[in-house]
Amino acid sequence: MKHLIQLTVNGQTHDLVTRAERTLLDVLREDLGLTGSKRGCDLGACGACAVLLDGRPISSCLTLAVEASGREIVTVEGLAQGGALHVVQEAFVEHGAVQCGFCTPGMVIAVKGLLDERPHPEDAEILEALSGNLCRCTGYVKILDAVRTAIRRMSGGRGCEALAADGSDLRPSQATRDRSGLAAPATTRESRA
Amino acid sequence: MTTIQIEYHAPTTLAQAVALLAEHGAAAAPLAGGTDLVPALKYGVLRARHLVSLARIPGYRDIATTAEGGLAIGAFATLADVARSPLVREGCPALAEAAAQAGSPLLRNRGTIGGNVCLDTRCWYYNQTEAWRASRERCQKASGERCYVNPKQNVCVALFSADTPAALIAVGARATLAGPAGERTVPVEALYSGDGLRPLAKGEAEILTGLVLPAPPGRSGAAYLKHSARESIDFPLLGVAAAVVLSPGGTIASARLAVTGVRSAPCRLPEVEAALAGRQIPAEGDRELGRLTARSLGALFLTEAVPHKRHLAGLMVVEAVTRAARQAQGRSTS
Repeated sequence: MKHLIQLTVNGQTHDLVTRAERTLLDVLREDLGLTGSKRGCDLGACGACAVLLDGRPISSCLTLAVEASGREIVTVEGLAQGGALHVVQEAFVEHGAVQCGFCTPGMVIAVKGLLDERPHPEDAEILEALSGNLCRCTGYVKILDAVRTAIRRMSGGRGCEALAADGSDLRPSQATRDRSGLAAPATTRESRA
Repeated sequence: MTTIQIEYHAPTTLAQAVALLAEHGAAAAPLAGGTDLVPALKYGVLRARHLVSLARIPGYRDIATTAEGGLAIGAFATLADVARSPLVREGCPALAEAAAQAGSPLLRNRGTIGGNVCLDTRCWYYNQTEAWRASRERCQKASGERCYVNPKQNVCVALFSADTPAALIAVGARATLAGPAGERTVPVEALYSGDGLRPLAKGEAEILTGLVLPAPPGRSGAAYLKHSARESIDFPLLGVAAAVVLSPGGTIASARLAVTGVRSAPCRLPEVEAALAGRQIPAEGDRELGRLTARSLGALFLTEAVPHKRHLAGLMVVEAVTRAARQAQGRSTS
């Protein structure tokens, strides 16, 4: 049976018709073209499909689209504002907290969900918040570093203390930034400070 | 993706939900967080073709203290709500620990405590994709004739492996059910049939709406321990909850133990409870208690290492009882 549903995704409201057995992930990826949320295990065990539902990170592969009707959804596509990456995304890029990248959208969403609720979490809380997101490239150390940097930066600090003990700058070079079309972090950092 | 087509119902009152479940009988199932039901749908093992959503029914999500000093928890509260509730953490840390260890943060933000209590049993031969199961004759739980795990008796022994029921049973919680004949309350342990095929003893049209925990007796404490292959996103291989009451002299006056991941229902360990009554708090690695626990588990299925699991149960019972007793000591001095 088909149902008329209304999803507010990244601030935009969509009226959609869907069958009841389709998941929120199906609708996001196939109907709305938002392929940032990944289909990993499709059974709730990997976290690659994480989105915020009314502000809380959930597995969109386990939520029927009809159940999300009338509710607010934020996907990884909704984090960057005006062409500038979200602080968490920026920190992931700077720390190289991305290997194959498949788990990254889910990781970023899980971190965003945590920091919206607890802006100054302890390391144990960060690890707990990420314990439903699997990275099979074993990149957790850099991910944790990136989250620490994002936390410091969001609370006004420059946030490079953890980057390199020898004082070298591990941020992407200007050339890398130009190639990737990323906003220059130096500028955004000043504007936030 | 699934090939099953379902009818979705979104009632806005509990009475409508009960009526829909009654109307469609075995072909219907209540849908709460969906973290257990949606995988079953994708695996093609969900028998229900009508899903009755509980999401639009207001209420049944609150956590509050009762007039008697216990806790009343709405069954539609998420596991995350239960795990982080100051009332639960203070009033029944064992339940907060159990809720905090279920699944993963992403699952606990959707999955409800009612859904965890009503979790379906699991088996290697059942929780598989359609393609996997198609390679052999269907098992009983998947509407076939055979049981591959227990072929001699040919009786389904799918395991019950939710975390929170063990803690709820240990502290003597009761469940509130709303059905066509009105509301009734039963001890949480009476919710389970012990049958791997149909693990719940409630009526098809009954909906679990709440859990009521009694006020903890004086000098009492409770703890929940979980052992699983992975620290996160995993069912317990074994979960042990212990609730103890200490005598004024500091010995164990009474103990209640509940185990999950062993049979088709969470179960008490009456022989071990009896052996604990009247004795000192067990020392770490208490072999006698460990052996008694191992014996009292009965036949074990669906585990590759039966002796290991028995040994582990003994260790975990001792540790859970010790932790519960320590909590009781802390409470009686404060």
